[in-house]
Amino acid sequence: MPDVYTPEWYEAVKSAINDRVATLASVPVDEFTIAVEIVGDGRTPYVAEGDVRRFLIRLEGGTCAWYRELDADDPSVKLDYRFTGPGSDFDAIAAGLADPIDAALSGTIRVKGDMRFLMRQAEMVQVLLEAYSQGVETTWPKGRPPYDGVS
Amino acid sequence: MTLKDTYDAIIIGAGHNGLTLGAYLARSGLEVLVLERRHEEGGGLCSEEVTQPGFVHNIHANYHTFVDMAPPVADLDVRGHGVEYVRPEVQMASIYDDGTALTIHTDMDKTLASMARFSEKDAATFQRLYGEAHGFVDLLLGTLMYQPPLSVKELTKALATFGVEDRSEFLSVKLRRETINQFLNRHFENDKIKAHLAFHGAVCSYTNDVAGLAIGYPLLVGKIDNWHLCVGGSHRLAHALWRDLAQHGGVMWSDADVTDIIVEGGRAVGVKTAGGLELHARKLVASTVSVEQTLLEFVNPKEIPDELSQRVKSEVVHKDWSLFSVHMAMRTFPEYKAAEFDPDVNRAWVVNLGIDSIERLNADWKSIRAGNLVDPQPNAAVNSLYDPVDAPEGCTTGLLRQFAPFALADGGEGAWDDMGRWYGQKCIDAWRRYAPNLTDDEIIDWSVFTPHDIARKLPNMVRGDWMMGEISLANMLDQRPLPELGQYRTPIDGLYMAGSTQHPHGFITFGPGYNALQVIADDLGIEKWWSRI
Amino acid sequence: MAVATYDAIVVGAGHNGLETAAYLQRAGLSTLVIERRHEEGGGVNTEEAVLPGFRHNMHASYMEFFDIIPMIPDFDLEDCGLRSLTPENQCGIAFSDGRPPIVLHRNDRYELDHASIAQYSKADADTWIEIKKRTFDFGDMIAIGIYNPPNPATQGMQGQLLEGMFGDMGVRAHYSTKTPKTVIDELYESAEMRTLLYRTSVEFGVPLDQTGSGGHIFTSIPWQVGRWRMALGGTHTLAKAMMQACYREGVELLENTMVDKIIVEDGRAAGVVTRHGEFRANKVIACNADVRQVLVDMVGPDNLDPLIYKRAKDFRYGPSGVLATPALCIYDPPAYKSARWDPDIDKCFYTVVGYDQPEDVARYVRDAHAGHLPEPAAGTWVNTLWDPSQAPPGRHAATGWFFFPMASYFTAEEWAAIRVEYMEEFLLRWGDFAPNMNHDNVIAMKLYTPDLMERKNLMWEGDCLLGEMAVDQTGANRPFPEVADYRLTIDGLYNCGPSGYPGGGVHAAPGYNAYKVIAQDLGLPAPGPEGRAY
Repeated sequence: MPDVYTPEWYEAVKSAINDRVATLASVPVDEFTIAVEIVGDGRTPYVAEGDVRRFLIRLEGGTCAWYRELDADDPSVKLDYRFTGPGSDFDAIAAGLADPIDAALSGTIRVKGDMRFLMRQAEMVQVLLEAYSQGVETTWPKGRPPYDGVS
Repeated sequence: MTLKDTYDAIIIGAGHNGLTLGAYLARSGLEVLVLERRHEEGGGLCSEEVTQPGFVHNIHANYHTFVDMAPPVADLDVRGHGVEYVRPEVQMASIYDDGTALTIHTDMDKTLASMARFSEKDAATFQRLYGEAHGFVDLLLGTLMYQPPLSVKELTKALATFGVEDRSEFLSVKLRRETINQFLNRHFENDKIKAHLAFHGAVCSYTNDVAGLAIGYPLLVGKIDNWHLCVGGSHRLAHALWRDLAQHGGVMWSDADVTDIIVEGGRAVGVKTAGGLELHARKLVASTVSVEQTLLEFVNPKEIPDELSQRVKSEVVHKDWSLFSVHMAMRTFPEYKAAEFDPDVNRAWVVNLGIDSIERLNADWKSIRAGNLVDPQPNAAVNSLYDPVDAPEGCTTGLLRQFAPFALADGGEGAWDDMGRWYGQKCIDAWRRYAPNLTDDEIIDWSVFTPHDIARKLPNMVRGDWMMGEISLANMLDQRPLPELGQYRTPIDGLYMAGSTQHPHGFITFGPGYNALQVIADDLGIEKWWSRI
Repeated sequence: MAVATYDAIVVGAGHNGLETAAYLQRAGLSTLVIERRHEEGGGVNTEEAVLPGFRHNMHASYMEFFDIIPMIPDFDLEDCGLRSLTPENQCGIAFSDGRPPIVLHRNDRYELDHASIAQYSKADADTWIEIKKRTFDFGDMIAIGIYNPPNPATQGMQGQLLEGMFGDMGVRAHYSTKTPKTVIDELYESAEMRTLLYRTSVEFGVPLDQTGSGGHIFTSIPWQVGRWRMALGGTHTLAKAMMQACYREGVELLENTMVDKIIVEDGRAAGVVTRHGEFRANKVIACNADVRQVLVDMVGPDNLDPLIYKRAKDFRYGPSGVLATPALCIYDPPAYKSARWDPDIDKCFYTVVGYDQPEDVARYVRDAHAGHLPEPAAGTWVNTLWDPSQAPPGRHAATGWFFFPMASYFTAEEWAAIRVEYMEEFLLRWGDFAPNMNHDNVIAMKLYTPDLMERKNLMWEGDCLLGEMAVDQTGANRPFPEVADYRLTIDGLYNCGPSGYPGGGVHAAPGYNAYKVIAQDLGLPAPGPEGRAY
C-alpha cells in the first residue's frame, strides 16, 4: 500500500486508471496533459501552508502514459487542463471521502481548460475520477483525512 | 497616398464583440480592420448627451454583469485602458404598491434579511439556491458561455453521467421543461419575492413565462448581485476595446457601411462599402451584425444554399417584446415613499416599480405580445448614485425602462414616433407615484428611446430585438441562430458569425466574439496565447 | 502619491490636444490626454441629437483646411478612417422673392461662378474671378502663415502683402485696416453679392464693422470657398481618426476626468490634480483647454505674475463667434424658389437663407452682438445630399449656424423658451425661401443654443472660437502678447488650444505650433518631413 503522493502511489493510480479504461466500450483517441495543483491550506500535512505541489499527468487515448511532479510550471509543456484546489480537499478525494464532481461544482476545486471535451467524454472522466478517488489503497503516514477540525 | 485596402481579417461591426475579436486577432499578429456603419464605435455601448450637455445617458447597454468572468476583460487589459467599474452595494430593489420593498445587496446577508421580512422560508430557499448556484456559476458559465457551444443533448447526457441531478437541488435536467414561473412557484411561497425574481429573469431577457428558460435561471441567480456600472457611460468600454485593437496595429473605421461581402470560389475574400471602397481580406471576414443582414443583404444569394436563405427568412426568431426607455436629466435623487419601510431603496441602483405578483407580469406579457402598451410599471436606474461623473455637479441622470412591443397593434412600429412622448410622460408619472419628490421642477429635460428607435439606431437589432435573437430553448447553444450557423462558421469558407446572433446571446458578455475567436484560431492555426492553462 | 507619471500630459482632447499628443508620443514622450467629457473631439463632434440615425454636426461643419493640415499626412489619417468630399456647389444664397440665387462652385469649376454673379453684376463677377484666381496657390503661404507660431515682426505687414498681391487691381495697403463691410462695399456693387459676402465674412467671427479685418475679403474667403470639404460620416470622423492615430502611437486617453488643478513646483508645471488623484508630468503639460480656464482656474494667482493673471482673467469670449445650431430631421431637402433660375442652389453645400438685403445681415450681426435675438436667418447644410449615411434611407439631416447673443445674456429658462420659439420662427422664415420647409416636411427639430454649447465643451459664452477674434486678441496678440508663443510663463506649461494663434476653427494649427515650440524647448524632432516650410 503506497503512501499518498509518492511515486509508488502515482504508479498505482496510473494502473488503476488504465485497468478501468480498458473496460470502457469506447475510449477517445485524444491526447492531453493535466496539471494538478495541490495548495497547502494549513490543514493537509502533505503540503506546507502556502506551498503548491504540482503534478503533471499525460493521458493518451484514455490511458495514462506518464506522470511527473514539478517544482514550477514548465513552459515547454502545453497544458490542456489545470485543476487547482486546497490540499485537504484533494486529500479527502484521494481518501474516497469527498466527491470530485461536488468539489468542482461547489467551486472548491477550480478547473481550467476546454470543458467541451470533459462534457463530451463524461463517461471516461468519471472513470478517471473513480480511479483517483477509489482505485488505490493508500496509506497516510502523516495522518488520514478528515483531520482534526476538518468537517 | 494610396489607401491600404488589404487586411488579414475584416470584421463587420464595431460593437463589443467585433472589437473584442479584432483586438485578439491584432494581438495575434493579424492585420485587422473593423468596419462600423455608425459614426461611433461600440454598438449597444453608446452613451450620449441626449437630454442636455453634461448628462451622459446610456442609450442602450447599462448593466455589465460578466465583467469579472469574461476572459477578454483581463486578456485585453480593459481596466488598464481606463474602464472603471463600480459594483453598487444596493444592486436592485422592488417597490410594491403597499409601500413595502425588497432590496438586493452585494452583501448577501442583507439581501436575505430583506427577503426574510416577506418570508423566512423563501429567504432560506434563496440562500440555498444562491449558495449552490454561486458554487457552480463560474464553472458552468465558464463552460457554457466562454467556449463554442455544446448541444443541449450533450449537456444533458454529461450532467446525467456526472449524476449532477442527485447532487444539486437546482440543476435538475427537468428545468429544461419548465418556465421560470414554474420554477419559482415550485420553490418559493411569497408573491412579492416571486415577482421580484421573475422580473429579474425578464430584465435579463429570460422571459418568465417561456417554457424551458428555467434551465438558465439558477445561473442568473448566481449573478444576481454582480451588476456593474461603467463609470462615465458604457461607451468607455468601447473606447477601451478600440484602444487595445489600435495599439496592436488594428484599425477601426467609423462610417464604413458594408453593403457586400465579396465571395470568390466559395470563399469570403473581402467587402464593399456604401462609400465605394472595395476591401480585401486575406484570411477571414467576420460579421457581428444580424443574420439577415449578413446572409440576405451582404452575400450574393447564389453563394449560399437556397434552403439556408429560406431558413434565415422564416426560422430566425426575434424577441416578441422590446424596451421603451426614458432618459432623464434631473436635479435630485429619487426619494421613495418605500424608504420608510426599507431606507436602502433610496440607494438602489435599479428599482422595479409596482410589480407585485407574477400574475401582473404575465398579464403584461400577454398584452405586450398583442402589440399593446401596458400601464407602465418601469424599472428605474439612477446611475448617478454610483457614477461621480455622469451628470453635472448636483444633478443626476435617470433611466426608465418599460417592457413594450416593437410594433404597436395600432399603427405598427411607425406609430411610436407619435406615442413616444406621451408614453414617456406616463412612465415618469408612474415613477413619481413611488418617488413623489420627482416633480416637474426637479426634471430638467427628458428624452425617449422607443423600440423603433433601437432598430433605427442599431439595425442589427432587428425589430428592436436587443438580444439579437429570441432567448428560448430552441434558440440556445449550438442551435443559435440556426444549427448550421451555431459554431460561428457559415457555408462560405472564411466567413464567420461573431456577434450576438450567436451563442451565448446579446448583453455585454463578450461571449460571441470570444467564442468565434476560438473557432477562427482552430481554422487558421493561430496559437491561443489567451488560453494558456 | 501620484496615480501615474508621464513625460507629457495634455489637458483636453479637442482636435488640437489630440494632435499635440500624437506628435509628443511619436517623439518618444509617454503622453496622457485627460478629457473632461466622455468623448473626444471637442467641437469636432457629430451627434444623433434629435432622432436616432440622423447625424448632426453640432459645432464644426465645413472643413476648409483638409488640404494643408499637416497631421493628415503625418499620421496617415486616411488610413485611420478619415474620408472627405468636396461638394461641387460650395456656397450659395437664395432669396425669398425667388430672385436668381448666387452659387459659388468648387475650385475645379470656378468659372461657373462668373455667370452666377453676372446675373446681378458683370463687374462683380469679374472682380470675384480675378481675386479667386490669385488665391489658388495661396495654400503654401497660408500653411506657412498658420502652421508656424505668430511672428510679431510681420504683424503689421498684412497691408503690404495685400498690395503686393492685388496692387494691380487698385488694392492698397490700407485696405487691411478697413472693416470687412467697407471692403465688400468697395469691391462689389450688387446687393446680392454683398449679402452673400457679408454673411460669409461673419462666419470667421469677424464683426462686419471691425476695423483692421478687411484683408480676409481678399484672402481667406476666396481661398476657402471652393475648397470646403465635408468629413464623410460627420465632422466627428476627424476626431475618430485622430484618436486612432493617438492609440496607434501609444498615447493614453483618459475620459470623464476634469483637471481641477495644475501643480506648480519650483516654477515648473509638475502635474495635475483630478478626481483620481495626481498625475505627474516629467516634461510637459500642454493645454487644449482655454487660457483663462488654465491660468485662472487650474494654475491660480499664486504661481503667476500678477499681470499675466490679470491678462488671462481679462481674455474675452464673444460676442462674435457665438453659435447656435439648429438641427433638423427632414423628409425632403429644401427646394428653393430661386432654384427655377439655377437648380444648383438646391444642391449647394452651404446655403445662406433668411437675408434678402445686405442690411439684413448687418442688422442681424449687430442685434446678436448687442444681446438681442436677431431676425431668423442662417447658413445651412444638408450633408445628406452627398452623404446619405448621415440619415436613414430616403431622409435628410440639416443643420445650420445662427450667430447669437452670448450665453450670459439670457437665463436658463429664457434659453429653454428660445429653443422652442426661435426654432419655430426660423422654420417659418426658411419657408419663405424654400416653401417645402414647413412642419409637414420636418420629422423633428431641435435648437442647440450657446448656453448648451458652453456647458458641453466649456466654450465660454458659446464662443466657438474660444476667444474673440479682435485685433488685440489675434495674431501675435493671441491670447495676449506675453504668452502668444504658446509658453504660458511657467516652465513646462504650454497652450495648445484655440485661445492660441491662429484661433478657433478646424485647422489644427495651435496644436501643431505648440508641439513645434515644445520640440524646440526639449530638443525633440521637427513635426514634419525635412524641408517642409511649416
